[in-house]
Amino acid sequence: MTRGRINRRQALKLMGAMGAGPFLAAGGRIPPAAAGGPAGRVVVVGGGFGGATVAKYIKRFDPAVEVTLVEPSRRHFTCPFSNLYLGGLYQFDALGHGYEELVSRYGVQVVHSMADDVDADGRTVRLAGGETLSWDRLVLSPGIDIRWGELEGYTRAAAEKAPHAWQAGPQTHLLKKQLEAMEDGGTFILVAPDNPFRCPPGPYERVAMVANYLKSHKPKSKILLLDAKDNFSKQGLFLDGWRKNYGDMIEWVGRSQDGEVVRVDADRLEVETEFGTTHKASVLNVVPPQRAGFIARRAGVTDASGWAPVEPRTFASPRVEGVYVIGDATEAAPMPKSGFCANAQGKVTAAAIVADLAGVDGPDPSWANTCYSTVAPGYGISVAGVYGIREGHIEEISGGVSPADADAAFRRREAEYAVAWYRAITQDTWGTA
Amino acid sequence: MYRSLAVLLSGLMLVAAPVWAGAPPWERVEAVQNVLDGETPVRGAIHLDLPLVSRDGSAVPLTVEVDSPMSEDDYVASIHLFAVSNPYPEIATIHLTPRMGQAKVATRVRLNESQRVVAVARTNTGRVYADAREVRVTVAGCLARDATYDSDTLMLARVRAPERFSAGEPGEVTTLINHPMETGLRKNGDGNLIPRRIVHRVAASVGAETVMEAELHRSVSADPYLRFFVAPVEDGTLTVRWDEEGGESAVREESLRLR
Repeated sequence: MTRGRINRRQALKLMGAMGAGPFLAAGGRIPPAAAGGPAGRVVVVGGGFGGATVAKYIKRFDPAVEVTLVEPSRRHFTCPFSNLYLGGLYQFDALGHGYEELVSRYGVQVVHSMADDVDADGRTVRLAGGETLSWDRLVLSPGIDIRWGELEGYTRAAAEKAPHAWQAGPQTHLLKKQLEAMEDGGTFILVAPDNPFRCPPGPYERVAMVANYLKSHKPKSKILLLDAKDNFSKQGLFLDGWRKNYGDMIEWVGRSQDGEVVRVDADRLEVETEFGTTHKASVLNVVPPQRAGFIARRAGVTDASGWAPVEPRTFASPRVEGVYVIGDATEAAPMPKSGFCANAQGKVTAAAIVADLAGVDGPDPSWANTCYSTVAPGYGISVAGVYGIREGHIEEISGGVSPADADAAFRRREAEYAVAWYRAITQDTWGTA
Repeated sequence: MYRSLAVLLSGLMLVAAPVWAGAPPWERVEAVQNVLDGETPVRGAIHLDLPLVSRDGSAVPLTVEVDSPMSEDDYVASIHLFAVSNPYPEIATIHLTPRMGQAKVATRVRLNESQRVVAVARTNTGRVYADAREVRVTVAGCLARDATYDSDTLMLARVRAPERFSAGEPGEVTTLINHPMETGLRKNGDGNLIPRRIVHRVAASVGAETVMEAELHRSVSADPYLRFFVAPVEDGTLTVRWDEEGGESAVREESLRLR
């Protein structure tokens, strides 16, 4: 016997003493509570970074807990690295991740269906086919929905002409096709929303990756980024990186320079700003206002903001008992809406649920996040943060961005780290890199 | 008998005067007390709106609205805004007139930390209303924006009004001026204080008549932004004027046309 078995109580104690992360790294598992029935039934809705992670880690912590993951897609295509696909640096197929490992290695039951409704009193989830699943604990990780119509003129139909491509899949392909069909000398316009939204550095990486494509294929083209904000993630690093790699191809217009778009005309590929300037695009990419995914709203865990507030220690909903919410659907500021955060939240929440089902206190949480952005081939930048709880709130304990004066070798290494990060986190989440 | 009467009276008072449960949230805030001047405000007719959580304390959207007919006989005369935990709590004082047609203004404010924002309104008849909101701020307002302000557009002002108005019906006007609103509290890279420089007054008029006048303080965000209503009764020109404290001015004119 090369590895000592630990019992359930010891494992939970270890989780509490060390935080979930180190415990997981040690590969520890909690043996089943007792022969016979499950130690509890958990239903997870949504198979992205948050949902797949929480499903897997509940089973790792306690294989006796019955875990069912509800996810309509056979493969999840990630938003992270979809910008690199648009830039020609990554294959679309490599963004897709299936659920085979969750099923075969961890014993998660995966149901490919859509969750239609939640009965919090009866503790069931109803699926699109009409069948219901019972749960002792429910985890919702539905990601975002677009607030259709919130930005005037930006409807589902408009998105077929002016894609958002903020949920990877057909929208990403549509935007790629439009870029490929665009004339040299055209104008690519990206409309960026006000906070909060999925992937804070995403719009700024996206224009860089579009510039990378245009630079080699349509070098006379221009990029206009119209922003509803004056401050954005890694701002100095992006502005510097755009200039170094693409000269004056990318123009960013912040809110105080009349950058906020208030109306979209997708038929004409025109946008109108707050003070009445009209801009005409060759390709129009609108990153629209967002809110928590449908099932979170349906379950009643969201508030007036459209996002789900959570108890900081566990990500349990303060609004609906027995329900947890993780990932982009939550209001967990200062944690960003990122895949990395959803993954970290999934682990902490898995530990909290296993502890709760066992009737013991969960560990003190700690979450980490890194957002790498690829500005150009061999040119990466990052922001990192470590989060904990201070005075009952989630706070950033430490963090920072890449140095402003880093040399080319440093930027090159960060571009390599970005790829390594993507492989590692998709491996951790779905077991497929 | 006396006791039950007292209980009944206290119950009635709670219904009649919607006082704050417990102490009013600005009890020890001198700036608010100065505006209240000993009066007890009521809630209900005033609605203050800010996000529950802000990821950028340098520019937090704020909207305040008071239920009022805005007639010559009965209108909101002033709205006073405070960020009670900022180094200087005063945000702005807005003087309103019946020519606005609607007692609703919006701006963007600096919040140094998570805190309570307070709005007080006074009517021409002497009624006083107040409302308060708690805002959680995860990136402090004082940290954003580096010392290098884009001077190319300094004092560049923008105004937008609806293309057409219905006579006497309020329409919303949006204004913005590019300005750093330097608080005089920040240091530059060399450790020296950056001199205070603020736009302290924004005034809107139609002809000789004042529509709205706002006194801005240091807790207004850079690039002061103000939305307000105007209800023109005939075609005319809206003049908006911004004044820097002891410095420059900017003026913009916008046509107001009836349908």
